[in-house]
Amino acid sequence: MKKALYKDAVKEIKNTYKRFISILLMAFLGVGFFAGIRATSPDMINTLHTYYEAQNFYDIQVLSTLGLTQEDIDAIKQIDGVKNVVGTYETDAVIELERAEIIAKVMCIEEINQPVLLEGRMPEKSTECLVEESFLKGTNKNIGDSIQVEIEDTTNEEQEKIPYLKEKEMTIVGTVRSPLYLTQVQGTSKLGAGKINYYILIPKENINASETFIQIYITIENVDKLITSSTVYEEKVNEIKTQIENLKEERQQARYDKLVGNANQKVEEAQAALDKEKQDAQTKIQEATQEIENGKKEIEDGEIQLANNEQKVQNEFANATKQIQSGKQQIEQSEKEFLEKQQQAEQQFEELELQKQDLQTQLGSVKEGLQTIDNNCKQIEQALQNPLLPEEEKIKLEQQKQELEKQKTSLTATKSQIEDGITAIDTGISSGRQELQEGSNQIQQAKKELESKEAQFYATKKTTTAQLQNARSELEEAKQKILDGEKELQENTKEFEEKIKEAEAELVDAREKIAEIEHPKWYVLDRNANTGYASFIQDTESVANIGKVFPIVFFIVATLISLTSMTRMVEEQRTQIGTLKALGYHKLQIATKYIIYASLACILGGILGMGVGFVLIPKVIWMMYEMLYQISDIVLSFDWYNGSIGLVLMSFCMIGATTYVTWKELVNTPATLMRPKAPKMGKRVLLERITWIWKRLSFSQKVTIRNIFRYKKRVLMTIIGILGCTSLILAGFGLKDSISQIMPNQFEKVFSYDMQISLKSGLDKEQQEQIKQYIQSKEEVGKSIETYMSSGTVKSGELEEDVQIIVPKEKNEIKDIINLVDITSKQQINLPDDGVCLTDKAAQLLGVKVGDWITLIDTDEEEKQVKISYVVENYVSHYIYLSSQVYEELYQKDYETNVILVQNKELSAEQEDNFATDLIGQNEVATVNRISTMVKSMDDTLKSLNYVVLVLIVSAGLLAFVVLYNLSNVNISERIRELATIKVLGFYDKEVYSYVTRETILLTLIGITLGLIGGYFLSYFIIDTCETNMLRFNKVVEPISYVYATLITIAFTVIVNIVTYFALKKIDMIESLKSVE
Amino acid sequence: MAYISFENVCKEYKMGEIIIKALENTNFEIEKGELVVIVGPSGAGKTTTLNILGGMDDATSGKVIVDGKDVTKLKNKDLIRYRREDIGFVFQFYNLVQNLTAKENVELATQICKDSLDPEEVLEKVGLAERKNNFPSQLSGGEQQRVAIARAIAKNPKLLLCDEPTGALDYKTGKQILKLLQDTARKENMTVLIITHNVAIAPMADKVIHFKNGTAESVEINEHIKSVDEIEW
Repeated sequence: MKKALYKDAVKEIKNTYKRFISILLMAFLGVGFFAGIRATSPDMINTLHTYYEAQNFYDIQVLSTLGLTQEDIDAIKQIDGVKNVVGTYETDAVIELERAEIIAKVMCIEEINQPVLLEGRMPEKSTECLVEESFLKGTNKNIGDSIQVEIEDTTNEEQEKIPYLKEKEMTIVGTVRSPLYLTQVQGTSKLGAGKINYYILIPKENINASETFIQIYITIENVDKLITSSTVYEEKVNEIKTQIENLKEERQQARYDKLVGNANQKVEEAQAALDKEKQDAQTKIQEATQEIENGKKEIEDGEIQLANNEQKVQNEFANATKQIQSGKQQIEQSEKEFLEKQQQAEQQFEELELQKQDLQTQLGSVKEGLQTIDNNCKQIEQALQNPLLPEEEKIKLEQQKQELEKQKTSLTATKSQIEDGITAIDTGISSGRQELQEGSNQIQQAKKELESKEAQFYATKKTTTAQLQNARSELEEAKQKILDGEKELQENTKEFEEKIKEAEAELVDAREKIAEIEHPKWYVLDRNANTGYASFIQDTESVANIGKVFPIVFFIVATLISLTSMTRMVEEQRTQIGTLKALGYHKLQIATKYIIYASLACILGGILGMGVGFVLIPKVIWMMYEMLYQISDIVLSFDWYNGSIGLVLMSFCMIGATTYVTWKELVNTPATLMRPKAPKMGKRVLLERITWIWKRLSFSQKVTIRNIFRYKKRVLMTIIGILGCTSLILAGFGLKDSISQIMPNQFEKVFSYDMQISLKSGLDKEQQEQIKQYIQSKEEVGKSIETYMSSGTVKSGELEEDVQIIVPKEKNEIKDIINLVDITSKQQINLPDDGVCLTDKAAQLLGVKVGDWITLIDTDEEEKQVKISYVVENYVSHYIYLSSQVYEELYQKDYETNVILVQNKELSAEQEDNFATDLIGQNEVATVNRISTMVKSMDDTLKSLNYVVLVLIVSAGLLAFVVLYNLSNVNISERIRELATIKVLGFYDKEVYSYVTRETILLTLIGITLGLIGGYFLSYFIIDTCETNMLRFNKVVEPISYVYATLITIAFTVIVNIVTYFALKKIDMIESLKSVE
Repeated sequence: MAYISFENVCKEYKMGEIIIKALENTNFEIEKGELVVIVGPSGAGKTTTLNILGGMDDATSGKVIVDGKDVTKLKNKDLIRYRREDIGFVFQFYNLVQNLTAKENVELATQICKDSLDPEEVLEKVGLAERKNNFPSQLSGGEQQRVAIARAIAKNPKLLLCDEPTGALDYKTGKQILKLLQDTARKENMTVLIITHNVAIAPMADKVIHFKNGTAESVEINEHIKSVDEIEW
């Protein structure tokens, strides 16, 4: 290199610093953007790697369907290259809070996968625990608060139920970030609402669990320097994985044998116990049977005895009756005789009575005689009494009286005789009667005696009969007892037999179960099985993809621009090149100047670009991912590889272009070079042939059109440049549009509910009805529907995706709250009765379409085949909709509501707060998820994407500026004579300006138009590339974005045109006098 | 007062530290309708004079009066209007717009002037009626210069300035161009100023101004005006 040429090169830069800077800027933008965006993905991975290394993150994870044991760990430890093997426990727990219950993943604090302590301290006691930051926010708990961790009992090796934790009550001592969860905890749980909300970390000491571990984490030797997800790393991991896989068979078998052995032993023990029980029972039955037999015999004996007794009694009775009978006969006989006697006596009596009557008659006459005597006496006495009575008369009367007295005495004697006769008769009668009486009395006596005897007999008979009766009934009773006993025995025997049967069946079952014990299956997984990791790596790929597209546009534009600039520069210096050539310089030596010029601009710009790009772009993009992933700060690196690639590519393009244009000139002879280059010939353009248009054009329009067709290369460059910029800007805006539409699309277009109220599990119908009524009665509620919601997985072939299963109670009511729109017809649809509706992103990821069958796995791990009837629009996560009818048919169980979706009336934020609080206060309500809060948090995340968009827009805008500025410079420089000439001709500055700019404007317009079209496709491409698995970007570019993209490009055009205006003003008219170069 | 007068015009260029004097106290006058030839060697100040007179450059000091207007005092916009309306310029290298046909090149000038002539007529005058639709690259040097002249006179300027109009042409063609200029000056009564280093052209002029070392050394009225046909060099 000759010194003069070197100096010339440096001077050239000084003189044409504008051109130099514009090339430098192109390199700056191209390399900076390329390097920056290419470095982002590796920087992100590197950040993750650093984070993982610091937390001693696992390389391989082993899971088994039947748990893992210390022996497994020991066996893995034997593998060469394995650094550390840790067995750990993990389970889900329900944490009851005042107003809600949450599901948490409970993990152990291990030396592997160490959590990063954010606040507080590490646990010192076994009852202390760590939670993630969002846990505190979400539950309103603070460090120092205690929580009640409810975990289902677990079984130990002996299959006995034991509590999982030693202490349920744990104190939160700090917040952490676990490297196991880069994203929010995801996954489903059988507990509660089925969705895991948070993770918590507890010391291993608090775990009561058995010797079986849930999983084993493994770190590998010598991989700390190997970047995670790199091929070398993957290879190394795969090597160890293969070795573990080799070990797997043996360990699986060992685990199987142990489990089967344990179970067999148990079954044998049970069998023995059963056998003994059987024997005992049989002995007992025999004894009982014997007893019954004995009883039966006793009864028989009793019966015979009783019969004998009865016979005897009968005989006795018969005798007694006979005796009584004969007694009676005797009495009758006596009575008869008596009656005869009585008759005779009566006759005698009658005779006596007659005698008596005679006597009495005699007596009467006596008595009358007496009476007359008495009366005569009395009259004599009375006459005696009479003093007047002469005494003669008195002696006569006395004599008469004495006479009378004598008569009286005789009469009295006769009377006494008669009376004695009467008395004798009376006495005879009365003694006869007495005799009769006595006879009658005797008979009566005998009769009485007999009667009493009879009565006695009857009494005796009665008692005896009763006694016999008793004996009989006793016997019957005894008989019944025996029968009962027999029956009981039968029943017992039956029962026993059944029991035995059952026990035997159980044993058979147990044996079958042993036979059924699946061979345990090991899953040897690497980091890719970690959802957060996988999605992070996927995102870095998205970024890498953007890094593939965007810089290419930059490169193409940058190359074209430098090509134009350098071409112009070399053309301007044709004469000088010719002179140098004539002076005898080598082609290479001459070319060197231009190559140095281009290289310097390119390398300087490139290095500056790298410096800025390596820092700025990864940082800005990281800002967005920082919100999605819980990782440490970004680790920036100066990525020599990508930097050099960018620089080399840029240099290759620029220096290549320079060499090409220089060489094209250099091949000419010096003479040709020193002669002015024949100016480009003017040509008619095709349009002129269409005279009716051409005629209508103004003169200046014609000139513009001619010019456009004349400088084809430059025109093409301008159009491509502007096209590139516009489409980049539009793509940026398009990305923003698509992102910002996700939330409204999901939560206005698809879901129009405001609250998702999950009911507690295990409510009965009445409680459900009650809460339903309660919610409907609230005045805040506009509309509510009952649904069943659960987490699940859909599978098609090897592909699977997590989905939310939604089963509305009334399929017709869903319309108001969940809008199901068919993806192809865009029509609102009804839930089908013979299939399911799957959201479109899930369908896309599974590669299925309407009419295909997929496997639906619910929380119970039940796999069901369902047919896709519709693929419906959806934007955030995946859903599968079933009608309750399909659900019932599929699962063969009754449909049950567990979620109520509520659409509120117009509520202020405060009203909604109050309403939500009120709802959570209800006993039946487990959780209340509010769309407004959800939208807000998601929105924050998505807004971060705007930074990326801003980077794109600013870069594209800068590119637009540089392109236009450069092209405008070239344009002026190329046409300087022409412009000077028209200035001489007296064109006003404005006219000169519009003479030049009319073209630029037209080209800009064409460029913008094409750019908008290109941008539309670029947007779609970029949206596709950026779309993550859980989101569906609505590929939409808002009309306003076209306006923005147009306006931004126009704004840059205007700035460039203002610069051009002054550049044109400065054009020296003297230029017009110069000879053609 | 003369139609055009240069009074003590000076022009200095600053090239870094050095000041180069391109014109020093130049004085001359031109009457309306005169065909003036300015001759002199390279670096004598001819082109500078032309530039100043054509409103393409300003004088450092002195006065340039054209039709009673002091050109040196004109502001940018007035200066452009002066160029636009008062000056027709013919370049050594024609400076036709390659992309425009002969007629369009003329139109380029006429569309900005008020009293412009009909481009086709002018082209006919310069003898190019047949080729009006040809592009410059399809025309010979002479023809191109004719187009350039047509473009200049179509504006109907007060002053036609020609910078080495034959410089890039062969002898014969050069003569034809000079003839055209002479005829135009005569017929249209146009004031024409031709700059040339070729002294042989001088006899065709009404007035010859000799330049040397940055100043007009002599101004002589040509008593024996020759037709271009008579001139030979």
